[in-house]
Amino acid sequence: MMLRSLSPTARRTFLAGLLATLPTFFATPGWSAQQQDPQGDPNAEEEVVVVSNAIEKPSQTDSLVRVNATLQAYNFIRPWEKGAPTPRRGLGVLLKGDRILVTAESVVNATYLELELPESGEKAPAVIVGRDYEANLALLAPAPGNEDFLKNKKPIEIDHTALPRETVEVWQVEDNGDGVSTETEVLRVSVGNYFVEGSVFLVYQLKGSLQSRANSFTLPIVKDNKLVGMLLSYSSKEQTSYILPAPIIEHFLADLEDGDYQGFPNLGIGYSQTLDEQLRRFTGLGDREGGIFIDEVTEDSSAGKAGLKQGDVILSIEGHAIDSRGNYEHPQWGKINFSHLVRGGAKVGDTVNLTVVRDGEEMELPVELMRKEPTEFLVDPYMFDRGPKYKIVGGLIFQELTVPYLQAWGSQWASRAPFKMVYAHANQGLYEKEGRRKLVFLSQVLRAPSTLGYENLGHIIVTKVNGKKINDIRDLAVAFQNPNAQGIHVIEFDEYPKKIFVDARLSGLVNQQLIQYGINQLDRLD
Amino acid sequence: MIASRRLTFTGLLLTFQVLSFSPWLFAEGVKDPEKAIEVPLPESVQTDVSNIEFEAIVRVDVDVLSPNYRVPWNIGSTSSGNGTGFLVGENQFLTNAHVVSNAREIYIKKNSDPNPHKARVLHIAHDCDLALLEVEDPTPFLDVKPVKIGDIPKLNTTVIAVGYPIGGERISVTRGVVSRIDFRAYSHSSVDFHLAVQVDAAINPGNSGGPVLQNGKVVGVAFQGYSGAVAQNTGYMIPVPVIERFLKDVEDGHYDYYVDLAVQHMNLLNPAQRTALSLPNDGRGVMVSIADSSGSAGGILETGDVLLSIDGYDIASDGYVTIEDEQMNLNEIVERKFVGDTVKLAVQRDGQLREMDIELKRFIPYLIQSNQYDQKPQFVLFAGLQFQPIDRNMMEAHGINDLQARYAYAFFGSDELYKERPQIVVLTAVLPDEANTHLQDYPHQVIDEVNGVKVRTLQDVYDALYGNHHEEGKEDFHVIRCVGEGRPLVLERSKAEEAHERIMDKYNVSFDHYIEEPLILKAGVVKLPPLETEPAKKEKAEGSKNESPGSSKPKADGALEASAR
Repeated sequence: MMLRSLSPTARRTFLAGLLATLPTFFATPGWSAQQQDPQGDPNAEEEVVVVSNAIEKPSQTDSLVRVNATLQAYNFIRPWEKGAPTPRRGLGVLLKGDRILVTAESVVNATYLELELPESGEKAPAVIVGRDYEANLALLAPAPGNEDFLKNKKPIEIDHTALPRETVEVWQVEDNGDGVSTETEVLRVSVGNYFVEGSVFLVYQLKGSLQSRANSFTLPIVKDNKLVGMLLSYSSKEQTSYILPAPIIEHFLADLEDGDYQGFPNLGIGYSQTLDEQLRRFTGLGDREGGIFIDEVTEDSSAGKAGLKQGDVILSIEGHAIDSRGNYEHPQWGKINFSHLVRGGAKVGDTVNLTVVRDGEEMELPVELMRKEPTEFLVDPYMFDRGPKYKIVGGLIFQELTVPYLQAWGSQWASRAPFKMVYAHANQGLYEKEGRRKLVFLSQVLRAPSTLGYENLGHIIVTKVNGKKINDIRDLAVAFQNPNAQGIHVIEFDEYPKKIFVDARLSGLVNQQLIQYGINQLDRLD
Repeated sequence: MIASRRLTFTGLLLTFQVLSFSPWLFAEGVKDPEKAIEVPLPESVQTDVSNIEFEAIVRVDVDVLSPNYRVPWNIGSTSSGNGTGFLVGENQFLTNAHVVSNAREIYIKKNSDPNPHKARVLHIAHDCDLALLEVEDPTPFLDVKPVKIGDIPKLNTTVIAVGYPIGGERISVTRGVVSRIDFRAYSHSSVDFHLAVQVDAAINPGNSGGPVLQNGKVVGVAFQGYSGAVAQNTGYMIPVPVIERFLKDVEDGHYDYYVDLAVQHMNLLNPAQRTALSLPNDGRGVMVSIADSSGSAGGILETGDVLLSIDGYDIASDGYVTIEDEQMNLNEIVERKFVGDTVKLAVQRDGQLREMDIELKRFIPYLIQSNQYDQKPQFVLFAGLQFQPIDRNMMEAHGINDLQARYAYAFFGSDELYKERPQIVVLTAVLPDEANTHLQDYPHQVIDEVNGVKVRTLQDVYDALYGNHHEEGKEDFHVIRCVGEGRPLVLERSKAEEAHERIMDKYNVSFDHYIEEPLILKAGVVKLPPLETEPAKKEKAEGSKNESPGSSKPKADGALEASAR
């Protein structure tokens, strides 16, 4: 259990590119928010918890629907494979328009989804109508032909007014269909990690012990029969839960309404706190209070395009003063990390006004907010519902580097995964400068006549194939169509062994053998 | 030769510190009685020990002072241990380098003589784990005949190891056969590979530096092995070619180290490689992948060149050559040569055959990953900020896990980082004080610039902090910028100087820097222009350039005198 508050010792919060990171405090053996492990068992739920003083009472189940998912993650090490299918159950809530809300994590990499009525046990297949893995939310609907399935259910409304020290209820359903409600107290409002590694949003922390029922992966939290949030994680040791709160849910739903989902914007900065008086004097802050020091600005991000620079100090966002720890004062919730002003409090396309100190001078900087898609990064920060891109050439396996690939080394991947790959992930700018869109590397070599002598190669970055520069896996696939006049492919790397040669005809034969051997697909380029 | 990045050596060096080991007990007769494989009896060789001059095989007792890379101004920790040595010439005792590394005091004892004789190191070769000692008073050994040096023994012939291993006080003899002859990592430096001979004679802590004999002649120096938990009956000895090379190298009075081709090659086993490189299918040749630009073959060999022969020995497509009927790594040809010797290569480039003479020299950049011995740790301490250059000892002492530091350490040679920065300096610690309390979350960062000076050596850090350098418009601050880190570390000058004395006092720091010119500069691998200095302070800055400023601090050197050798 590593329940840590967002302590001021978090010297540096990194918002570069996609998301912001804060100390991981969801690495609990609780019900959910397990880090996605591409090899791992996503069905790692905890068993019964001893109840101390929880107040339980029957709840209504009119708006509750069980969501049964079968999940099957792609294998990033053997990219032609998917892992073992695993079941996951969650408790969704019915919203107006016959839509069921669950956390995205409960339906990640789903191959089959069904809805189940708690009272009768009746089932119907379901489809996903909207999802955002960063915000960890998904909206489901009965599959076509099952439109009447929810006719006896009652939609729930959403309430974003919950405040610290208020009592809210966690709703669960027994195996027999009876509803159970457990009272908990909202302790505080802060920002914290969601499901995707590094994805930081608003969270509520609840105090109160919960009992695991029917292995439900996510649960609704309500106040006066209105939805306050969805359970993200629960720690039995601390008897605290983190929930994904209504403001984020409302943002998600509003965004989905027009059929053109934009997602949550981000600034694209890395920052440091400015508690250090010497740093404050160095940056020319003078008598001004608070502010965050900008360590890094991603070039093609919202902040980068608006002209924010490394070394600037942001004093306020949209008139909200930011203190030297990076928090602003929310009228009801108290101190909240400034990231919520952008990630929850604004939409893609909005303009937020920053007050910035640069070289001692104060200036206003309007920033038009955008969002960078995960696919727009050199190294995809996450990848669900689709497999990693790869190409096999006569036993040589080439892939595009992704974070899920690195995560195959477990949660300690930063020190366990192949060093050059970890370094490339942390220094993506170096490779983007070379014109690369993706980082293509030789991931491993299957022993075959065409790869004789190359068996021990792996985790080396490809620079050229047959003289063509390789900026993504498509480039590689095209380059392999043109072996040299001798019928040989020349593959070049940025380090040892620099250059290898494979016979094009022999590779083709080996490819056929690999298919017979059971590798059903020799590439995935989309 | 250079350690390939792809090889990890898991062998455990048998240390000579007897006290810390408990004996391994092997009961007789517990071996598997059912022999699955018929092993021919060892070739009969003379292993009668009655004619061995035991007097020439001595016990080497050593007091060691291990420097403290974590608290570099401290004198270090003392310990003691023992190994074995043997007389090879007039007042010349051969032993392992690891027996006498970091030695403060060395005593040599004969088997028959209770008196220890004070000794000192004549030559030490950390790259091949050998050292020559001499006793201050040679008279007790005047009558002792040196042990004769033999040859590489054949496989499956009997050898005996003689020495002073754990398990008792007096001399010990163990017997076994030669199991394997191969190129191996020498774990003393952890980066060097040489020929080594594997034997199944018991070699235990304390055997280190002792002779392995056959027919009364030395065929090797026992030096390392696996612990029983990893592999059984695998001890290693340094074979005669390595011993003879060392003895010949020091004949001129100094040791000049191994030379290296500094080439990483790719075997040519794949038919496509041979076709692409226009080679016949005759099983010959390896491809040059990388010829380090600062190595012997830098600027001569290119990626894609095919090495066909070396000094007339055909190179097989797996990188082996046949020397005296033994298959050996092609580097073995280079291994037997000295600084300034040449090696003749037959090279095929673009289908053309050409001969190349390559003058051999040492390859220095790889030493960043080598264990350091007999060195004082270098550092600069300023206002509680402790700066140290990257080397293996520092990385291990501080358990450095920072990505930039790990990159610099791992790719210093192969990405030629040394050309810009002959030393990579890391902020290894911050001694807490009110002046630096906000900088404590930044340890292990690689230093990029200090006060506007791009840091190329530890000396630059010293000069930038103690000289008159500052970032433009920031006269009142010391500004330290780290690689890949946007937030500079800043200290107000007035506060820093005041804090410096206070911290030195509070943390019991006896001197605030120790700097040596890095070997890469001393050996001329890289030449650096001097720091640009402010005209007013030019004199002062020049005065300290490339000198060890530590020498101007009597307090400093006095504290470390005891470890000087």
